[in-house]
Amino acid sequence: MLNGFYYGLKKFWFDLTSGDLIILFFSIVLAVTAISSVSFLGDRLQSSIQQQASVVLAADMAFRSTSPLPEDYLTSATNQGLRVAKTISFLSMALANNDNLLASIKATTSTYPLRGTVVLKDFTGEVLSNDKGTPNSGYIWVEPKLVEALNLKQSDQLVIGNASFVVEAILDDYPDRNVGFLAFSPTIITNIADLKSMGVIQTGSRVVYRQLFSGTENQVNLFFDSVSNLPEEVRVQRLDEVGDQLGRTLDRSTRFFNLAGLFTIVIAAISSMIAARRYAARHLLNTALMKVFGASKKFILSSQICQLLIMIVLATSVGLCCGYLIQSLLISLLDELIGSDLPPPSLQPVFIGFLTSVSLVFAATAPYLKLLGEAEPIRILRNDFAFHLKNNIGVYTLAILTLTAFLLVLLEDVNLVLSILGAMCVLVIVLSVLGYFVVWLLSLYSNVSGSGWRMGLRNISRRRNASILQIVVFGLSLTFLMALTETRTDLLESWKETLKEDTPNYFFFNIQDYETADINSFFKDRLEQPITFTPLIRGRLLGVTSSSGEPVKAQNMIEREANLTWFDALPENNLVVEGEWWLSDLGPPSVSVDKDIAASMNLSIGDRLSFTAGGMSFEATVSSFREVQWESFAPNFFFILSPGLGRDLPQSFITSLNVPPDSRVANEFIERFPTVTSVDLEAALSQIRSIVNSASLAVQAIFILSLFAGILTLVAAIFSSVDQRKKETAVIHTMGATRRTIFAAVAAEFLGLGILSGLTAVLAAMLFSGFLSTQIFELNYTPNPIIFISGFLVGVTSIAVAGMLAVRQAIYSPAILTLRNY
Amino acid sequence: MITVSKIATKNQERFVKESILEVQNITKEVNSPEGVLTILKDVNLTINSGDVTSIVGPSGSGKTTLLAIMAGLDLPSRGRIMLMGHEITAMNEDKRAQVRSNDVGFVFQSFHLLPRLSALDNVMLPLEILGDKNAKKKSLEALNQIGLEKRVKHLPNQLSGGEKQRVAIARAMVKQPKILFADEPTGNLDKTSTEVISDLLFSINRSFQTTIVIVTHDLLLAKNCETMHELDEGSLKC
Repeated sequence: MLNGFYYGLKKFWFDLTSGDLIILFFSIVLAVTAISSVSFLGDRLQSSIQQQASVVLAADMAFRSTSPLPEDYLTSATNQGLRVAKTISFLSMALANNDNLLASIKATTSTYPLRGTVVLKDFTGEVLSNDKGTPNSGYIWVEPKLVEALNLKQSDQLVIGNASFVVEAILDDYPDRNVGFLAFSPTIITNIADLKSMGVIQTGSRVVYRQLFSGTENQVNLFFDSVSNLPEEVRVQRLDEVGDQLGRTLDRSTRFFNLAGLFTIVIAAISSMIAARRYAARHLLNTALMKVFGASKKFILSSQICQLLIMIVLATSVGLCCGYLIQSLLISLLDELIGSDLPPPSLQPVFIGFLTSVSLVFAATAPYLKLLGEAEPIRILRNDFAFHLKNNIGVYTLAILTLTAFLLVLLEDVNLVLSILGAMCVLVIVLSVLGYFVVWLLSLYSNVSGSGWRMGLRNISRRRNASILQIVVFGLSLTFLMALTETRTDLLESWKETLKEDTPNYFFFNIQDYETADINSFFKDRLEQPITFTPLIRGRLLGVTSSSGEPVKAQNMIEREANLTWFDALPENNLVVEGEWWLSDLGPPSVSVDKDIAASMNLSIGDRLSFTAGGMSFEATVSSFREVQWESFAPNFFFILSPGLGRDLPQSFITSLNVPPDSRVANEFIERFPTVTSVDLEAALSQIRSIVNSASLAVQAIFILSLFAGILTLVAAIFSSVDQRKKETAVIHTMGATRRTIFAAVAAEFLGLGILSGLTAVLAAMLFSGFLSTQIFELNYTPNPIIFISGFLVGVTSIAVAGMLAVRQAIYSPAILTLRNY
Repeated sequence: MITVSKIATKNQERFVKESILEVQNITKEVNSPEGVLTILKDVNLTINSGDVTSIVGPSGSGKTTLLAIMAGLDLPSRGRIMLMGHEITAMNEDKRAQVRSNDVGFVFQSFHLLPRLSALDNVMLPLEILGDKNAKKKSLEALNQIGLEKRVKHLPNQLSGGEKQRVAIARAMVKQPKILFADEPTGNLDKTSTEVISDLLFSINRSFQTTIVIVTHDLLLAKNCETMHELDEGSLKC
């Protein structure tokens, strides 16, 4: 056994440099590079994205409730090593300089915020150094809008309820921007200790109580698991649930990372298997000869395992270095965007790198090592050096299971891994059938002019099984690359679409009917944007009558203020998923409900909801459920009433517009229409934009790595048949074929294979992309002809050029030299 | 003419003729699409130590199969082989490999030199399997003995057919086996090279008393051997 290891060690460098191991080596290097850079980069970018997302929460996790939260949670979290903070938010009138304005009061503890910072400015615009999240007792920080509206100056007095406060600073930025009813009014941050003196929180007041928690992911998870019996009204806010837009961005970018990583591994596994086959084929004579000379099975296996182990260590080290360099380069490119205070990468990618290479090498080489170990020495006398892979189903199954288990461990996404591997199996079958069909078609039509071209095309049908295998391998790589390009493009487009430059950044509320014409002309003059006024009816849900007798769970919604509206036609960004949209004004009083709210209330079509609005009570039948694109930044509603019902209710209007951040339009508007409430969402939008940009860049970077893996597989597949082609080329040459004819034959064969694989890949990629977009990323899918055409052309050209380059040497060297090697 | 005289001395004292290989009732059958095919039928044969024995016969008569079974590269369907006192037909593959590694050498019609290894590396191969620390020295000496000292670093495709077979013989002899099996050793060679290789094999036998079993079509070579057996349709002709 030791002899075998020593022998393997001695021959390693020779085998590596003579080409037997080199493709396997590069496959592993690339797989480790891709996985480790995905891991290094993903790890750091993900934490950057999460850091930014946590800024939206001001914590890693928060409990939110409209009733006071027990202090026990904070105590328990502190005991478990978490940092904690508390905020209490509500609306109250702020009085100053004989004027008043409805303000959103956020009372905070000194530890607030746990993530992100509160940025303060003085009244000259100077940024103040600040490491606290709450003013001293008796002081407040106010948003600029309040300063303008109430004409505030440094140290002015501002009254909230029964207490008077000193305006200490202007609130320039803070992490957890308000949402819902609190977002309509400018914010004031106060010390939580001053709440009592204000005396504004009474029984029945609308108050949002939040407890914030921060720590390592593990700590947060442990704490969350330890909290049992959370009251129903407590909403747990976690990073992956931070609003639809952020949640989906995180989810989709994670899924894309995983998908790209999975593709890279699968593609690298294919090239490793091809390379392992070549390694084994070239070692069969060697192995049989060694057995003749008395080498035992153990000796042979240990020499090969030794070589593979050295290769794993070397390839993984090179791959890890490349992975680290790539992620460093990307991080430096993204520095401005994601900040330089990223945590250093952990050692996890090193572990993942080794796990990747060991799993890949095992999966790729185990079947062949078994064959080599069992190679009978009698083959030498029979001159039989062919591989017979039948009867090795067990080893192949083990190899595939290893790969599957590894992917499951790596990606921790059972659905993704199993659905992609399942889809891949279907894809291989589809490609094989298509490949068989096109090779058969080709055998019928090979009467082209030119002996070289004819010979090349005949070769494809003559070597039918090998050609189909190559079509499957080329096709699979091209399919993955095209599908990944499609998905990447769709993903980036969808992000760009939701956050395009003209996304509304201002909401205007409380617009009365008589003001709409003036407001329309105001904005028409300044922004040249079409304005849509959406009716807004302030109401309350009073009760639900189930049509089927099924119990409904409406407790959370009942008695809460609900913003209602009415529409003739289904608004943009809404899609009816169940039931029907009303066709005219004349139908019965109906209501269309957001599908998630409907699900949480266990509503069914036909149930009756009773509301009150403007002192009037009314009932409406649930006629449809809608899927709402909440990230559209257009006014969206849980409940939409039919026009016949909504038109006559007391209502104001709401509109959203894109106002250039640096313009004075917003200020002019406030001066001109003081009764209209404006909400500036620019800061929140910027936060989301920067997260989406980080995710987009990371997606691009990881996509490029997958592209390299695909190219390597093509090269490996081409090289797998190079020895045979070299021999054939030399034989044809000795029979009198000119180099030009041989070149034309090789070109025709590879071009033919390229076209066949490209065509089958385009068809398969369309199906696969459709599956990925709709099932994995929940996006609408429309095939992108540019990607398929360019994928086809690039694929065909790469296969043809790489193939010709690979056998070029044999074509242009004397045939006798080539033949002497065989 | 190339003669070998100084490779080693360990077999030189073995002058008393005793049987080194006994083939007892060997039958080899294989499955084929046409049913069971009998390649060897009840073959009995004894080869004495220090003899050069040839086995001749037309193509398909079972010569190479018999050689493979005698050398322990293949197993018979029935019968037994005693090689150097070991019943190799009762051994597993690894045990048979162990017998081969110490005392058996092989020469093939197609040379089977590893194409990417130099002449020296090819000769070193059997010694490296044994873990011999003097593999290089012994291999250089062996190449020197067969007159290929100037071809040490050449790759197989840079050697003539005769030279390739001489390298293969050096590779077979470098570990000083007691018995050498040669499968059509001159089958791929021209007349001159055939003579060179024949002389070399007989010279090895004379110098080291190495038992040589040659399977060949070449009647001239066969007749020069001490014993000649003819195989026809799987049976030995008496």
